[in-house]
Amino acid sequence: MKLLIVEDDREAASYLKRALSEAGHAVDYAAAGRDGLLLAAGEPYDVIILDRMLPEIDGLAILRTIRASGVKTPVLLLTALGGIDDRVEGLEAGGDDYLVKPFAFAELLARVNALARRPPTQELRTELAVADLKLNLLKRTVTRGGRRIELQPREFQLLEYLLRHAGRVVTRTMLLESVWDFHFDPKTNIVETHMSRLRGKVDRGHGCELIHTVRGAGYILREPD
Amino acid sequence: MFRSTSLRLAGLYTTVFALAVVALGAITLFSTRHALSEQFDARIRAESAALVQEYRSEGLKGVVDAVHERDHTPGSLDFGLQGPSGEPLAGRLATTRAAMGWSLLRRGGQAREEPVRLFAVALPDGYKLLVGDDEERIEALDGTVLRGFGMAFIGVVILGVAGGYALSGDVHRRLAAITGTAEAIIDGDLARRVPVRGSDDDLDRLALTFNRMLDRIAALMESLRQVSNDIAHDLRTPLTRLRQKLEAGLAAPPERGPALEGALADLDSILDTFAALLRIAQIEGGARRAAFRPCDLASVARTVTEAFAPSAEEMHRALSLAAETGVIVDGDAELLTQMLVNLVENALRHAGPNTRIAVEVARRGRAATLLVTDNGPGVPEAERERLFDRFYRLERSRSTPGSGLGLALVAAVARLHGAEVELLDARPGLQARVTFPEAA
Repeated sequence: MKLLIVEDDREAASYLKRALSEAGHAVDYAAAGRDGLLLAAGEPYDVIILDRMLPEIDGLAILRTIRASGVKTPVLLLTALGGIDDRVEGLEAGGDDYLVKPFAFAELLARVNALARRPPTQELRTELAVADLKLNLLKRTVTRGGRRIELQPREFQLLEYLLRHAGRVVTRTMLLESVWDFHFDPKTNIVETHMSRLRGKVDRGHGCELIHTVRGAGYILREPD
Repeated sequence: MFRSTSLRLAGLYTTVFALAVVALGAITLFSTRHALSEQFDARIRAESAALVQEYRSEGLKGVVDAVHERDHTPGSLDFGLQGPSGEPLAGRLATTRAAMGWSLLRRGGQAREEPVRLFAVALPDGYKLLVGDDEERIEALDGTVLRGFGMAFIGVVILGVAGGYALSGDVHRRLAAITGTAEAIIDGDLARRVPVRGSDDDLDRLALTFNRMLDRIAALMESLRQVSNDIAHDLRTPLTRLRQKLEAGLAAPPERGPALEGALADLDSILDTFAALLRIAQIEGGARRAAFRPCDLASVARTVTEAFAPSAEEMHRALSLAAETGVIVDGDAELLTQMLVNLVENALRHAGPNTRIAVEVARRGRAATLLVTDNGPGVPEAERERLFDRFYRLERSRSTPGSGLGLALVAAVARLHGAEVELLDARPGLQARVTFPEAA
């Protein structure tokens, strides 16, 4: 993927740039808001990583400007401000996701991958499927190998999220935010316990596992090799 | 309006003034009356002395003539002359019976009685002279005085009530403006100020002082926000770099892995504490109140208990929910969720294995309550209140993970919602009770 980082802290930016490149992405970098604005408006990127607090032009101002000029590239906002209002403000300005500094690189990588646009056909689908696992969005049913699996509503949401991001890592925080709407970090392993129940229902008794734990990052649901 | 101080004062003032008019009327009445009767008595005394003198110089005939003559003069007093055995001799009072000296007589017997002030004096040789005067004139004067003061009284009351109403209405409006501003500020609109007239009266000065106080508070809040932002930015930036370096280091030499992982975990715990502090400061700033919406407490409780059920089971705690439906509070759903999460986590962490944790949502009258009750070891009464302090931790909990900020955040969220949060003895165990203010 082709990414743009707009971040005034050169040291942090160069680390990100290196790490993202190692993860196989092509990365452009702008240290000042003005350069970032020019690059964002002129080049086709898959995802823009934008720091909120920049000298000269504020990150949110850049975001509003590029949105106003019709650029629809997904934007991940990075911020040192962790307030609730700050998040809401960021999303209202046209941000697609929001990450509070400091963060684990795995978290950033997972969110960047999740933000990248998928083929548009996916929007119209009523069924999500990976291998022999099928989830029907209209009937709210799940089957594996033709056998019906009974899920609690929250487990259904969890599986739906994993299927929508099939083949990509989803982190614990991403699940907390999108499945439970928890925008804070509980000290209890609620994601882990729900996930283990879901895996028990989806994977137990089947030859190959579809849901995998990615150490230090999160979970991934993918086609068996 | 009728509970306003200014109107009460105006009412009190009018009452006092009206009472003063009544007292003044009474004093005037009594003193004029007194002066008049003295004057009347003096006239009676003078007339009787004149007639006694007449008797001495002219004899009985002279007195009888004098009485007759006076009887025919308009506006004169009444007289009566009686013989030694009481036989009437002359005058309008000739048949009147009266003891010697002063007396008050009721005369008439017809439709209306007229009081007569009477003075009887003995003449030589057993004759008796009576001199009397109608009291009616005094009573007529009483009537005039009373009418005058009655009008004055009514005038005072009308003026007092009307003036008081107008005056208190004005004061009331100005005080209401101050109250309205204070309430808007409490609701998080820190930019509001009390309108000032520029008349430099005491209420204007109060408004100015109030506004200066608000400016000061706004400046303090702004500097707090600024400090939070500075901390957030200036401290988080180097911490981000540190985290990145540790992460990078983790990838390189495998034998250093565990040490770096430990350092990373320590760093994350510092960052957690730091995030919690910033969040508490932000909540206490009160700005969130502007975003309050009606929130269904039962649905918040359901989300949280459902999220924690598998973890609770794994930890051998029975987590249950009993929620009345339709318990709505005005608030911030995200913060209410976090508050309940912290209360449930607190119970999970401190109740111990094989305990029950019950979450309840109920209505008491018009107030909503949220209860989290465990049957664990509980907390001694002396320490319960202190648990809401930042970084306060029980001795036995020091070895368990946690920042000591969970309940401080609960207290901050409760305060923001105008709710009261208490820790009670559940015999055995601990009960956290959040009581929300009554819905409007």
